[in-house]
Amino acid sequence: MKKTILAVLALCAVTSSSFAQDIVLKGKELFGDMKARHIGPALMSGRIIDIENHPTNARILYIGTAGGGIWKSNNGGATFTPIFDEHAQSIGVVALDPSDPDNTVWAGTGEIWTRNSVSVGDGLYKSTDAGTTWKKMGFDNSERIASIEINPKNPEEIYVGVMGALWNDSEERGVYKTTDGGITWNKILYVGPSTGAADVLMDPNDPTILYASMWEFRRTGWGFNSGGETSALYKSIDSGATWNKIQTGFPAGKLGRIGIAIAPSDTNILYAVLETEDPEKNGLWKSTNAGQSWEHLNNDFGLTVRPFYFSRITIDPKDPDVIVKGGLTGSISRDGGKTFQNMGNQHSDIHDVVFDIHNSDILYSATDGGLYRSWNGGVTLEMTEDLPLSQFYHISVDDAEPYNVYGGLQDNGSWYGPSSSPGGVEARDWNRVGGGDGFRVLKHKTKPIIYSEPQGAAAVWRYNTEIDKVTDIKPVPENDEELRFNWNTPLALSEFKEDRIYIGSQYVHKSEDMGKNWVKISPDLTTNDPAKQDKESGGLSKDKSGAETHTTIFTIAESPVDQNVIWVGTDDGNIQVTKNGGKSWDNVTANLVGIPKNTWVYHIEASVHGKGTAYAVFDGHTSGDMQPYAMKTTDYGKTWTNIITDDVKAFARNIQEDYKNENLLFLGTEFGLYITIDGGKNWSHFTNEMPPVAVHFIDMQKKTNDIVMGTHGRGVIILDDISNLREISDDILQKDVHFFSSKEAVMKESGGFGGTSTETQFVGRNPSSVAQITYYLKKRHTFGKMKMEIQDMEGNLVAKLTPGKSKGINIVNWNYQGKAPKVAGGKTISFPFAPRAKAGMYKVVMTKGKKTYEHTFEIKNDPKSTTTDTERAQQREALSNLSEGMENLAYLVYNIEEYKKVAQNVLKQNGAVKQAQDVANKLESLRAELVVTTGDMYVQEAEDELREKMTNLFNDMSTSYDAPSKAQLKNITTYKSQLKEGQDTFEKLQQKEIAKFLKYLTKNEMTPPTLLSKEDYLKS
Amino acid sequence: MKTIKLLVALFVVAIAIPAQAQNADEVLASYFENTGGMDNWKNLQATKMSASINQGGMEIPVTMINTKEGKSIVFADFQGQKIVIMAFDGENVWSTNQMTMQAEKLPQESADNAKLQANDFPDPFLGYKEKGYTVEYVGTETKDGTETHKIKLVQEPIKVNGVEEQAITYYYFETENNVPIMTESSAGGQTMTNTMSDYEEVDGLYFPFSMTVQGGIPLTIKSVELNPEIDATIFEMPAAADKN
Repeated sequence: MKKTILAVLALCAVTSSSFAQDIVLKGKELFGDMKARHIGPALMSGRIIDIENHPTNARILYIGTAGGGIWKSNNGGATFTPIFDEHAQSIGVVALDPSDPDNTVWAGTGEIWTRNSVSVGDGLYKSTDAGTTWKKMGFDNSERIASIEINPKNPEEIYVGVMGALWNDSEERGVYKTTDGGITWNKILYVGPSTGAADVLMDPNDPTILYASMWEFRRTGWGFNSGGETSALYKSIDSGATWNKIQTGFPAGKLGRIGIAIAPSDTNILYAVLETEDPEKNGLWKSTNAGQSWEHLNNDFGLTVRPFYFSRITIDPKDPDVIVKGGLTGSISRDGGKTFQNMGNQHSDIHDVVFDIHNSDILYSATDGGLYRSWNGGVTLEMTEDLPLSQFYHISVDDAEPYNVYGGLQDNGSWYGPSSSPGGVEARDWNRVGGGDGFRVLKHKTKPIIYSEPQGAAAVWRYNTEIDKVTDIKPVPENDEELRFNWNTPLALSEFKEDRIYIGSQYVHKSEDMGKNWVKISPDLTTNDPAKQDKESGGLSKDKSGAETHTTIFTIAESPVDQNVIWVGTDDGNIQVTKNGGKSWDNVTANLVGIPKNTWVYHIEASVHGKGTAYAVFDGHTSGDMQPYAMKTTDYGKTWTNIITDDVKAFARNIQEDYKNENLLFLGTEFGLYITIDGGKNWSHFTNEMPPVAVHFIDMQKKTNDIVMGTHGRGVIILDDISNLREISDDILQKDVHFFSSKEAVMKESGGFGGTSTETQFVGRNPSSVAQITYYLKKRHTFGKMKMEIQDMEGNLVAKLTPGKSKGINIVNWNYQGKAPKVAGGKTISFPFAPRAKAGMYKVVMTKGKKTYEHTFEIKNDPKSTTTDTERAQQREALSNLSEGMENLAYLVYNIEEYKKVAQNVLKQNGAVKQAQDVANKLESLRAELVVTTGDMYVQEAEDELREKMTNLFNDMSTSYDAPSKAQLKNITTYKSQLKEGQDTFEKLQQKEIAKFLKYLTKNEMTPPTLLSKEDYLKS
Repeated sequence: MKTIKLLVALFVVAIAIPAQAQNADEVLASYFENTGGMDNWKNLQATKMSASINQGGMEIPVTMINTKEGKSIVFADFQGQKIVIMAFDGENVWSTNQMTMQAEKLPQESADNAKLQANDFPDPFLGYKEKGYTVEYVGTETKDGTETHKIKLVQEPIKVNGVEEQAITYYYFETENNVPIMTESSAGGQTMTNTMSDYEEVDGLYFPFSMTVQGGIPLTIKSVELNPEIDATIFEMPAAADKN
């Protein structure tokens, strides 16, 4: 028996402890109301891959982007809404079901323009509600999907062209077919593990006819190859059962990427762009017999440039001789491809062009810098200003208030802009500080100097923003030695010496004078493997952009606690550390247990929590390894601990530690942000308004405790004030309710007239400037009452708030406003603005069912304010004085109206009763002096009466941060004496006309008005 | 005693697991059962809700009346003015223009859409099959930090800016009690999320007394009256009043 009890107790113990563990919340359950904030920018936008327009409704347009998901416009491209925020953000293709284009949308993820910085997808998706929700339809390992073709007569029959993996062999590629709407898929064209489908097309007139271009391609960290024996153009005339090459006329030998198009107005006409071994035969080909034979038309630059990046051909739906080819500028032909002219000015690098369904003068163009629209057939192009798709490689922040965010972008230079701005962060707030592709951008700690760089450190700019002067400070190689700078070259500053700057080639270079003079402080820290130093990258078309320069230093971090400790990570897998400012270096790579050899060291974060403490993040995706890797050392790299768990679902690039709580870490991955509150034992995916976008760099602003993310496709995303996360512990998670120590609430006195943006321009949201009451709820509140009040320390009600009910963290905003006075009724609305509460301590009182929870917090005046405490006291006194008058007026008018109502009833029922008529007339003329009784709320408004004057004065004072003026104080006295006159008149009426009227009522056994006491009236 | 508790706990766990295999009708049946019973909901003729919206430190009283016939009105009584936010008399949708304080008709499209919803009182899920709606169990999802059943409701197509589109609303029923705590719908590319909480009983039926509507405006319900006496003229658009 005893044994049994013990066993039961033991079981109970197990059960309760496992219950306790259940409360280790993850994701949405933990983060509750904490939401990420997007500040763009959208003025330079970012790369767009594919445009899909609706076949019958010209207003509807979908775009698939390189790293920012899918966006939909319902207004012909004027504004867009993101509709794919819960899924992989890199898109290859978007397709509407031709038989149900209003509702059914398919999306293939994974960009198909395979540049070095390209992101990855994770399969095929379908929506049946016009893009509101999506369902995964397979192809988890496809990495990139190029085409989706749907039989217009049978929506169950769909062909998918899978381009497949870029950095490794993979069998999940080729052409697939379903005949059951995507439940099962058959691979119907496959030529090998390194060859994928670049384009699949269906003849719009005959769904049994299909074309497919197969492409052999491969990228490594140090090279790219386009072309091979297995690249080819195929046709099937039996719904994909058999395929034959259609290359009559094509040159022999290897082929590269092939783009194809069918003229919608004559499906025997095909165009193809080719990459071959014979440069003379590259470019545009045409067939007029549905692919039986081909004729070479044109090998102009615009038709042969960078086939891996540009191979889209679009044909005017109404005219088979009007052809547009994507390219550096985009090319347009109006003579069937014989000659081409460049498209009009727009951002370079055109990936797709689509014509409006009704009017071919209107076309849309997808570029590296956003979406453009033309009204004159591509001659003049205007940019859509609503797409914050900016692709940051790197960001940093400064210490200004509000702080600025600095960063460099894919093909869009380097910029900085404020984290908040009056009216929101808009296009005009951003400043350009570098050209080309932009990467690291760093602000000098005290001087008006910004460092920036284009790709491969072709220059390093020291930009003096005060005098608008640019100096190139790139280190000059000594003795003509070749320096290897990564595409994304590391620059780093020092916490100790503000003029110090580091740059990494294969060496670490250091300057103590802002880049004027440099010294090498290391030997070659890379593997210097010549096999990874290919300079003839590209394959059939050479592509020497510098993007493949390898065996370089990629990250440099000087310890914030010891300037002699410097960490270096290289793209070929080395971690090296010096403890003596570069005199000697320890290669600690061999200590990285569990990290595959030569895995790219993407980021090292030197910790503030210890001299020998650092975090390293490794990215193996350019060798086909999609695992996340991050490690921590506390002994200068002698030993490392893995801090990644199965919770993290994508490869990682960056980590940011909290400077206060060593266990709080933020991990930037290919699919968004992960957060750990226990030093990496558990990770939670942060998804509140944070799409699974590639996070390339994270910085932390230490004054505001903001996590600032540079994303590669959705611009800068900020997680405001993460200090609550520092507090979370198991003890807190066990409580029903826990209030977090609120962040300092300061009543900022700023507030200008806002921005200049129009409705069609993106504006980034500002952070909350009001008091935030933050608490944790163990359970979502669904049944019974839950209320929240702000009370002063004596328990007087100051404001009623609506509490959040979510499980997890709730944030309730209080804009510091107390109660507004009650205002008299009239013909119009007279709206008083409640004054701000007085600085000091307050209580939050939250009642939930029968339980009450309290929390105290402080609100403070703006330390920058020019108003004195005495002036504030004067303002409060004046407001309180006027407020009393306004409420007395309201009560007076209430009395007048109640008597008047009864009098009017009598007149209605009993005809012309003198006593009633007298009362009604006199009361109405008194009322007309007190409140507006005619007119409207706009240009037919009546002259202000006492009520309106009082409210206006009240609002002038309550919205001001200053003491009331003498005139304002005088007016209070004037208005109160006018009120007194009104009260006196009413009193006289009460003694005379009203008294008579009441007698009349009594005599006739009629009910007199029932009047509320003033106290009750004010509560009503 | 401990043994019993443990058994109870295990039993709870045992029955909690099959609950995952839900379908839409089970969730809806449980919802109606948990909130007062299907018959009581069907017998409901009208509701009158008194609510308040807090705006800049002012509490603005709002009244919402809905009837089984499909008529409805939402109005605010403020400083002696009645401001109709939206009313539907079966034919027209109208509201008070806040410049002139006069009633004005809303576009015909709004009226047409309102007519489609006329049979949705008190709940569009009630008799949804007879109304020709479709309902689909989508799966579970975390909303407001808690696990919910996601149910898709497709009603008659509506028109938005002249273009017809599907009327889809996603309802999220908290798995613990099968009452809806959130809805999401979109029209013309705009997504609207409403939340519901503070369910309380009123004469045997449960109503949420706290909501966010129109995509985030908090609405606190002070009281709900079932089958109130209603002056039928309240829904009708008044003739233009004296404009002096």
